[in-house]
Amino acid sequence: MSEERDWATHREAKANKLSAMSSMIDGKFAKTSDAKAILEGLIAPGDKVVLEGDNQKQATFLSKTLASVDPAKVHDLHMIMSSISRPEHLDIFEDGIASKMDFSFAGPQSTRVSQMIADGTLKVGDIHTYLELYARLYIDLIPNVVLVAADKVDRDGNLYTGYNTEETPVIVESAAFHDGIVIVQANEVVDKLPRVDIPADWVDVIIPADEPYQLEPLFTRDPQNITELQILMAMMAIRGIYEKHNVQSVNHGVGFNTAAIELLLPTYGEQLGLKGKIVPNWEVNPTPTLIPAIESGWVQSIHSFGGEVGMEKYIAARPDVFFVGKDGTMRSNRAFGQMAGQYALDMFVGSTLQIDQYGNSSTVTNGRLSGFGGAPNMGSNPTGRRHSTPAWQSLRPDNDPLGKGQKLVVQMVETFGSNKRPVFVDSLDAVEVRKEAKLQNVPIMIYSEDTTHIVTEEGIAYLYKTSSMAERQAAIEAIAGVTPVGLRSDPAVVKDLRARGIVAFPEDLGVNRNQATRSLLAAQNMEDLVKWSKGLYNPPAKFRSWS
Amino acid sequence: MNSLWIFPGQGGQTAGMLQNVDKALRSHVEELLGLKLLDTDEAYQDSVQLQVGIELLQVAQVNAMQAAGLKPHLVAGHSLGVFAAAYAIGSLAQDDLFRVVKRRAELMQGAYPQGYGMGVVVGLSRPEVEALVAQVNSSEHPVYASNQNAEDQTALSGELAAIDQVVTLAKASGAVLARRLKVPVPSHSPLMAKVGTQLAAAMADVTLQKPAGIYLTNYSGRAVRQVAPVREDLSNNLAHPVYFEAMMGVAHDYEPDSIVNFSPGRPFRKVLGQKFGDLHQVNLDQMSVSDAAFLLTKWERGTY
Repeated sequence: MSEERDWATHREAKANKLSAMSSMIDGKFAKTSDAKAILEGLIAPGDKVVLEGDNQKQATFLSKTLASVDPAKVHDLHMIMSSISRPEHLDIFEDGIASKMDFSFAGPQSTRVSQMIADGTLKVGDIHTYLELYARLYIDLIPNVVLVAADKVDRDGNLYTGYNTEETPVIVESAAFHDGIVIVQANEVVDKLPRVDIPADWVDVIIPADEPYQLEPLFTRDPQNITELQILMAMMAIRGIYEKHNVQSVNHGVGFNTAAIELLLPTYGEQLGLKGKIVPNWEVNPTPTLIPAIESGWVQSIHSFGGEVGMEKYIAARPDVFFVGKDGTMRSNRAFGQMAGQYALDMFVGSTLQIDQYGNSSTVTNGRLSGFGGAPNMGSNPTGRRHSTPAWQSLRPDNDPLGKGQKLVVQMVETFGSNKRPVFVDSLDAVEVRKEAKLQNVPIMIYSEDTTHIVTEEGIAYLYKTSSMAERQAAIEAIAGVTPVGLRSDPAVVKDLRARGIVAFPEDLGVNRNQATRSLLAAQNMEDLVKWSKGLYNPPAKFRSWS
Repeated sequence: MNSLWIFPGQGGQTAGMLQNVDKALRSHVEELLGLKLLDTDEAYQDSVQLQVGIELLQVAQVNAMQAAGLKPHLVAGHSLGVFAAAYAIGSLAQDDLFRVVKRRAELMQGAYPQGYGMGVVVGLSRPEVEALVAQVNSSEHPVYASNQNAEDQTALSGELAAIDQVVTLAKASGAVLARRLKVPVPSHSPLMAKVGTQLAAAMADVTLQKPAGIYLTNYSGRAVRQVAPVREDLSNNLAHPVYFEAMMGVAHDYEPDSIVNFSPGRPFRKVLGQKFGDLHQVNLDQMSVSDAAFLLTKWERGTY
């Protein structure tokens, strides 16, 4: 007989590490000033570590502390982070504390990420979609240590994560039930929590933070900056897509194009008699530009990935619409939100920096390896899904008895970007970036095969109606304006595509260009949004032009 | 305050620019270097007068800003401006700065005879300019793609005749602008490698401190926090292009909340607009340090 195998090595290792630090941990609580020593004691070289960098909420105190540990004690960590948002997230690679990174989004640090990959300072595991990254936490990226952020904790160690729950549950669960160590930074220790978002039983160490976690108002768009071109595109989208396909559920990207749509529902949408007929159900962050549509009765429900700074009181006062706890504050959840965004929606509407001649799009441009956030999950057609909504069924091919519907994936772009560069290009910069960064796959955000519609200031291309790649290219050329791709367009072909409903210009949709003025927006500026909210919305200082 | 301080190199100098410089500092530097600073157009034809003059102006501004309680989180110097940048971020000591800058100017003065210099191409990408340069460059007629000041603005450095050939090719390839610059040395090219080696030797006994923030390197366009890359940049940046566009790209990732443009001139208006949009900026060429300090403090309080 061979020796009996020990089946609890992880549990024992965790217990040993925690007991070695017991002098610094009282119950679950450690002192702020011991944070560095705690991390040095509980994180071993080579560990897989999740550092909570969400889209909005950042575990700032723990990330700064991790950047200050002694690289002789803690080194070569394998970091798993959905969002690389802060400079110290990358400093740890320069200092040798970490060496490998799996991530989803690096928007705010995209230049440095691309430099550090080129220099060999940072090795990339993969650039994931959010859902892939969360899912891998349960398969082959099971973390040894997770570092997360809570709003409030009680004396027993229960956590309140509130409006910005975001990724905390999915991260904590992956460690708590596989003998990983859960370390929490807390803004505040209180006697009684508004509600329990994470039970104390799943938490190992709590460290009061020296300052509240960083929170960014990423989804606030000032209506003042919406242009008349964007209003025209929004009008086309409402007529040619929302109305045409009878869309009931939607996710909007973060740009001004979709903000324009939100602000046209109560005005232009009302004129078209669409109220009560389209988009009652939303998976979207509580973006302030939705307030007029909510107030005028367009919106029945909104589930959110995260919160939005300044919207707290408004959300609390609209529990029929938002997901709100018994305590009256919102709970968000990015993992469930992404799941809903991929599997439950009729439509995703987003924007991008480049679209190639075949319809593939990417926000990765030369020198900037940004990753993609939620777009690849929400902007993809889950092919295993059968869905019976009118929108999906309207994309069903007539000539295939086994054919099924499809998710609507819409890209809305102006033909030239704010940098005066053409958005429509023959080849994506991402093709070159793949070589420089030695990635397995070209970092495409949304594939052509998943893209059903492209909207530009010229018109709409109904790509799902095309029957060959050549026809798809011709439809894209027809709406690509005076970009090099658009200049190839043949007027005779465009005429035929319009006749067959594959391309539509504003006049084909009954959209009057002269009506596309800023006066059509339900709110023209931030002050209007505050008024619509009956004073409940409280914009962050940087969005205030009044005091 | 998360401020980005930018220090230009040569080009914006004007006679009389040292008028408002702290008198004690000026006489200290003159005594230290055994050099009378004349601050006239004629004097600024001379490398030593020019380089020491510009760095004196910048150091005086840094001192005044620090006296007003302001400090940078990020610093970016362009060419000669790296010395004041390293000083502002606490890496290079004041007297060392002036000694090294004087030595650098002397080495550059003797580096090349007539017939060498720099040019610029606007409206083509760097790979496009590099392709044109490759058609012309040879060991007898050397020319290199040099500083990248904006995405579509690449400097040339080398033999003037070779620069002229690249200029002709660039115009034929659709460049908006291509011409020689009034620079008498082929700076920021491999032709300056010898000066770099000599300056590195001269700097060997200069102690540098770890930057008290982020230093942006000319030679690699990187954000660094260690002494070694700062030393490389100070001693050897003349042998490499200034990757200013990349410096500003990576600076953007640190999300500065304001930019302070040091004198002389204001050469980076275009690239800063492209990278940072309407971020708050102050220009010490156009306002006093006390006005700048007032604005920066006001912005920090969030009263816009």
